[in-house]
Amino acid sequence: MKARIFPCVALLGLMAGPVAAQSRGQIRMPEFPSLADKASESVVVTFDQKLLGFAASWLDEKDPEEAQAKKLVASLTGVYVRSYTFDNDYVYPKADIEAVRRQLNAPGWSRIVEARSKHEQSDVNVFMFVEGDKAHGLAIIASEPREFTIVNIVGNIKLEDLHDLQGHLGVPELGIESGKEAEAPKTEAPRKVAPKKEATKKP
Amino acid sequence: MNDDIESRLRNALRRVDPDEGFAERLLAALPEQPLPARVAELRVARPAAPPSRWQRFAAPAALAASLVAAIFLGQQMGAQRYADEQRAGLEASRELMQALRVTSRKLDVAYEAVRDRDAPPARGDDEETRT
Repeated sequence: MKARIFPCVALLGLMAGPVAAQSRGQIRMPEFPSLADKASESVVVTFDQKLLGFAASWLDEKDPEEAQAKKLVASLTGVYVRSYTFDNDYVYPKADIEAVRRQLNAPGWSRIVEARSKHEQSDVNVFMFVEGDKAHGLAIIASEPREFTIVNIVGNIKLEDLHDLQGHLGVPELGIESGKEAEAPKTEAPRKVAPKKEATKKP
Repeated sequence: MNDDIESRLRNALRRVDPDEGFAERLLAALPEQPLPARVAELRVARPAAPPSRWQRFAAPAALAASLVAAIFLGQQMGAQRYADEQRAGLEASRELMQALRVTSRKLDVAYEAVRDRDAPPARGDDEETRT
């Protein structure tokens, strides 16, 4: 009997390993190996906690932008970015993006912003992984005909810190003041708004 | 009497040529003699010359040179390692800033959508925002 149980437990352990290794608020990022040749520009960044600490230690604190970034990433455990720009329309695999989007249907994730422009055929979705009153992850999926970007920021993202982030690096304020408000928009009815205006970044 | 003795002596001591082959027979009859042993020539030990100044300081000088070389190489390797680490660190920080800027740009688009959320519908319905 023990001989039968042991392989089952071992198998379960092997299956649970990758799940346990993934932090709360972290999604499985596709590597898109085939897109490197197709893309005219690409930003592929994979920073786990260790690498994030190393990179942050080399940020120049005399530079206000980098000093703020250093403060910001102190509480983060991962920054993952896949951003590709192409010369032709829709050469990227939409299925992979949908696979990422499906991960964000999991419990804990809330979509806080969905912006879609029919004119520009662009689509930007911002998700947050909120547990209790704390956000542990942020995910952005943005797609346009010639560009797509997936961002996953993992860590103990306090909304105050997010607020700090919004005020720097050209990151705007999203009007999120507390953890409760992060979840609240989920139930709000969709509404149509005016056409896109010129962006104005806050300092 | 004396003459007789004299003549007999003279006759006995007269010079007589040896027979033919006498020398060969004589040599053949002689026993073989062992070759004389080789004797190495003894050299007279001379007192060693006092070491020169270079010989006296060669070993410490070599040791010191090795030590200096080791310190120099260690410093070079340390400097090289620091340079490599610095290069990697600056590259990593540059990538981090780039990642944050990409995030910033995309959040900017979301911000515009949120900002426009409360604005009244104007010209068309080409943009839709849900929050």
